[in-house]
Amino acid sequence: MTTERPPSQGRRLVALPATVWAAVALPFISIVLALLVGSIVILASEVIVPGHPFDVTLPVTAYAALFEGAFGGLDPIVNTIRAATPLVLAGLAVGLAFKAGLFNIGAQGQFLLGALGSVTVGVALNQASPFIAIPAALLAGMLAGAAWGFIPGFLKAISGAHEVVTTIMLNYVAVSVIAWAVSGPLDQPGSPSPITAQVGNAALPVIIGRNGHLGVLVALAAVLAVGWLLFRTTRGFEIRTVGANPDAARYAGMQPRLIVVLTMSLAGVLAGLAGATVVLGVTHYMMASFGTTVGFDSIAVALLGRSSPVGIVFAAILFGAMRAGAPLMQIQTGSLIPAELVDVLQATILLFLAAHEVIRHILKLRGVKAGLETTDTIARTYGRESV
Amino acid sequence: MRKQRWLGASAALVTLTLVLAACSSGASPSASAAGSSESAPASVPVTAHSDLKIGVVTDVGTANDKNFNEYTYVGTKQGAAAIGAAEPPVTVPKDSSEFASSIQAYVDDGYDIIVTAGFSLGVATTQAAHDNPDVWFIGVDQGPPCVNAEGLPDTTFACAGDAATLLPHFVALSYQEDQAGYLAGMAAASASKSGTIGAILGISLCGPCIRYTQGFKLGAESINPDIKLVVNWVTESDFVKAFNDPVSGKSYGDQFLQQNPDVDVLFQVAGKTGNGVLDAACEAGIYGIGVDVDQSLSYPNAAKCTITSAMKSLALAVSTDIGKIVDGSMKGGDDHWDASRDGIAYGPFHDLASAFPANMADLLDAAFAKMKAGTLVTCPEKCGDLSTLK
Amino acid sequence: MTSDVQVTQAPALEMRGITKRYPGVLANAGISLDVRPGEIHALLGENGAGKTTLMNILYGLARPDAGEILVDGTPVEITSPHDAIAHRISMVHQHFMLVPVLSVSDNILLGEEPMAGPIFLDRARAHRRIRELGKTFGWEIDPDQRVESLSVGWQQRVEILKALYRNARILVLDEPTAVLTPQETKEIFAVLRRLRAEGYAIIFISHKLHEVLEIADRITVIRRGKVVGSRTPAATNEEDLAEMMVGREVNLTADRGTSHPGEVILRVEQVRVKDDRRSEVVQGVDLEVRSGEILGIAGVAGNGQDELVEAIVGLRRPSSGRIELAGRDVTHAGPRQRHRLGVGFVPADRHRFGLVLSFPLTDNFILTDYYEPPYARGIIRNEAAIDARARRGIRDYDVRTPSATVTTGTLSGGNQQKLIVAREFDGEQRLLVLDQPTRGLDVGSIEFIHGQTIAKRDAGTAILLVSAELDEVLELSDRIAVIYRGQIVAVRDGRTADKNEIGILMATGGSGASGSPSSPAA
Repeated sequence: MTTERPPSQGRRLVALPATVWAAVALPFISIVLALLVGSIVILASEVIVPGHPFDVTLPVTAYAALFEGAFGGLDPIVNTIRAATPLVLAGLAVGLAFKAGLFNIGAQGQFLLGALGSVTVGVALNQASPFIAIPAALLAGMLAGAAWGFIPGFLKAISGAHEVVTTIMLNYVAVSVIAWAVSGPLDQPGSPSPITAQVGNAALPVIIGRNGHLGVLVALAAVLAVGWLLFRTTRGFEIRTVGANPDAARYAGMQPRLIVVLTMSLAGVLAGLAGATVVLGVTHYMMASFGTTVGFDSIAVALLGRSSPVGIVFAAILFGAMRAGAPLMQIQTGSLIPAELVDVLQATILLFLAAHEVIRHILKLRGVKAGLETTDTIARTYGRESV
Repeated sequence: MRKQRWLGASAALVTLTLVLAACSSGASPSASAAGSSESAPASVPVTAHSDLKIGVVTDVGTANDKNFNEYTYVGTKQGAAAIGAAEPPVTVPKDSSEFASSIQAYVDDGYDIIVTAGFSLGVATTQAAHDNPDVWFIGVDQGPPCVNAEGLPDTTFACAGDAATLLPHFVALSYQEDQAGYLAGMAAASASKSGTIGAILGISLCGPCIRYTQGFKLGAESINPDIKLVVNWVTESDFVKAFNDPVSGKSYGDQFLQQNPDVDVLFQVAGKTGNGVLDAACEAGIYGIGVDVDQSLSYPNAAKCTITSAMKSLALAVSTDIGKIVDGSMKGGDDHWDASRDGIAYGPFHDLASAFPANMADLLDAAFAKMKAGTLVTCPEKCGDLSTLK
Repeated sequence: MTSDVQVTQAPALEMRGITKRYPGVLANAGISLDVRPGEIHALLGENGAGKTTLMNILYGLARPDAGEILVDGTPVEITSPHDAIAHRISMVHQHFMLVPVLSVSDNILLGEEPMAGPIFLDRARAHRRIRELGKTFGWEIDPDQRVESLSVGWQQRVEILKALYRNARILVLDEPTAVLTPQETKEIFAVLRRLRAEGYAIIFISHKLHEVLEIADRITVIRRGKVVGSRTPAATNEEDLAEMMVGREVNLTADRGTSHPGEVILRVEQVRVKDDRRSEVVQGVDLEVRSGEILGIAGVAGNGQDELVEAIVGLRRPSSGRIELAGRDVTHAGPRQRHRLGVGFVPADRHRFGLVLSFPLTDNFILTDYYEPPYARGIIRNEAAIDARARRGIRDYDVRTPSATVTTGTLSGGNQQKLIVAREFDGEQRLLVLDQPTRGLDVGSIEFIHGQTIAKRDAGTAILLVSAELDEVLELSDRIAVIYRGQIVAVRDGRTADKNEIGILMATGGSGASGSPSSPAA
């Protein structure tokens, strides 16, 4: 038996509209809880790993350094933006697919192919005028990514092969294609390790601070374009309808299979663009161990941003900030805290998001039902045979 | 400050570093198994440089990999300790696109010496050295440096610029891996009863790995001209799998040995992945040979079958150079470590000397002496070219 | 125990002044309701009147803003279904909360597992109890049978057993007959009477007036979150109750009037259709629907109606046969082509085909026309036109909603259906296909949709009506076709058809041919 109180005195800590809850409060609470969990991990590691005095303030030191490394001045902020740029683009690639009810795990492969396409054209045009070389290299990245997105979309449309399976497979293929290209046809002769030549004039110009490149504008343009596509065009309406209710889409005379192919190809364009901005804006050349984290971080970004273009921007800034701040955190804590703490934080944020019911229970929140439509999409679409 | 770090070395490692340090002053390329109490680079005057800030950026992976990253770090710590500087921190990028920003974070925080570990960081380190001429950079496995006339990383590899004058504060370490491989090859051929030995590389794209193996082949043939060497690599493309995945290494090693049952000595050239290869060798009841460091110590799990290792004196080189930077004698450019500088060595046999003929150490020392004298060819003409091994 | 209680006893459950406010809606405004042991208390109200909210509060799924709940005269706090069960309150939901792939016993035990020791389930004991409970009602229940293999009627019995297994004393049945055949309804009523005799307190939620009059001891009507009044069956009738529910006089039987059939609009010839499991469920159907007439298809659910309808609107490809629309062969045309030829469709499963629940009303109003002017210029949406379309539909079809931009899923079922009707009835339709158009709706909505249907017919639209409610088919149709095992077994005139005969044809296919004793004489 529970305590017998008049129900009107029930605990109601928060009464939020469902949309505010899902879009703002839930991610915010998840981040705060993840930082708490991170503190516990840090303190526990101090206890477990012997040989240094126990320092209760270490989590504070670490988070302060993380923050300083991400936002403490123009250069750190530019670093954050640089790290967030590919996450915005690849996050859009995952988020757009979520809108169509597709779980695009293949952003990683599309990202790599996009980078490869860009570096191929960028190297070929590295002496050309930047006004030709840059658009051409970006376009090549988009097309290569699109091709890598088209394949799983096409397979799903003709045979119902689930995109989760095919995109994972294509990620592996992409890694091998990169390794082959970088050590074979694109390898710079004479290099001690397999890397391509520099992209030269195809490099994105620096527009903010020391090294904030043009890619950030490309990403912002993509955010606007995706938002416009999804909410202002009939094509976007079709994508959203297919994602929300494929049967209704069929009844409405839409062609879900076509939409699946289109959406995956567009996702490929976005992820490919992400790869292009990294290779043209940051590294200026490509190596086999290129871009191992962006594709997977982008899934987290899309989840945290609830697949909304604006949400993805904020999520990407958060994750970009953690990546940008990680080196200073390692430096200022005397390497007591490895960069992996960032992974722990990211994973914990996602765990809390996915387990939003748990948060509601812990905080005794009631009357708020809305969860993450994206995690629901995963649950709903995985195992569904075809569109 | 904290004495021992999160990623800090174990007691065994401390012993090991002392052993390595001892190598530098001792005449023998092979360290005696017992720890020497001599401290690190004797040539460096131990003056207080407590305000000097030294930091390390490793390749993708983990700092405590009991291998390349860790020994570079150990060498840096040693060098720092020798000059009385604060214990250096280490940062580990998640991704190759973070190399530059990881280095930059030290620069921005006012560091004086930045050590970057691994050939993958070569371009990023060269660029940083160009952009920050007042900061010293030590690039491990990045020699010889290749710059154009402006001192920028020359990715066409014409290498027209003279790095030593253009980037006077960039020290690019290189090692004569084929010499270490040669010594290991001699040991392998001597220990093999079947006449068939094997080598497993992490990845086909790794120049130092290939040079190790080329030397290994020549060294083995110097003992037994009919020796058969089976060479394979874990992956063509995936660097994590190649150097940071002992589980894959183990299963790859198992399969390799099933396919090649005659192999009775197996050389791993695959970093931490190779630790799994050594496990596979132990399990199959054959001998293993470690790489880069004395793996009998760095990877005790396989010590029971690790008869020797092809060693680079990672810690020695880094700590020596830090000392030279401080005393003003260090110069930029290629800093090549070969037998003549004790930059390479073979690992002590520990308890497994019985695997070899009694005169093994003499043979190896003789070969090492010839290397020092520059009279022993340890790499074929196309040094670093995988096709010579196929 | 409670078996010897009298109806005059104190309430087993009492809800006092329950108030619940949702953004923009006062769902419950001081509702009081009680039920005594050995009583069936019917709660009657239109969809959206606040019945479900009230029951969610009782079951701990929602918290009231004010008011209290008393069990046996003691105030209690119910914050979760767990609390409700602890107070021996149990609910049988409209949409069964059963796991189809689990067995009967697993479903009953879920959340209430009997343990033998700390780890193992005591299945044997549980099976015994389930069998015994079933036997008290004369049910032979196999606890190991999978729920998905049971008929809907039996699934409901499993739900009731589940409640009884948890020692419920207060049973809430939410629209228990909505999915049942007339025969199954009779059986469930027998069960309810028996439970009443044993002293259970039962709250029976429904909007079917004749059922409420048949089974309840007391009827409480709520409208727009408030109690309008309470009656005993003896002191009221259907018209009175309907008026209380809707708040105005209600015409319970649609005035069908006379029809003036014109040319043939829909011609179906020897159509065969396979279902998702690739078995042929429509086996050579011939049909004709003329402009200005309503053809009703009567049949027990699962006799191929759904597949036939899907074939007619273009959602399912016939394996053979021919479908003509106004003289054009559309056998292989997709839904959009048929829509453009003037086909409207109100699907049986409005959540599946009819609506995207996560979209705002505006988007659902243009679901089938989104690509055409004025709603789109090229590929760019014209939000102003879309908004105007939604406002017009909301106004003309009386869709009750706080605004045109709220999520469609927040509307009540009746209003969702009105939205679909508003979309599909709008404009110059040649053919309207109505599949279960009033399933689960309240009398007000039914009256409205029936009226609109007849108006469309009189405007010259051909209407194909499929319904499991035989009364609805009899009431609206100009002609009635009976479907049985994928074939049309009889066609009768809608005004002269005999209900018993149609019922027998539906159940047996009329294998006894024309010599049925209850053949129409009229």
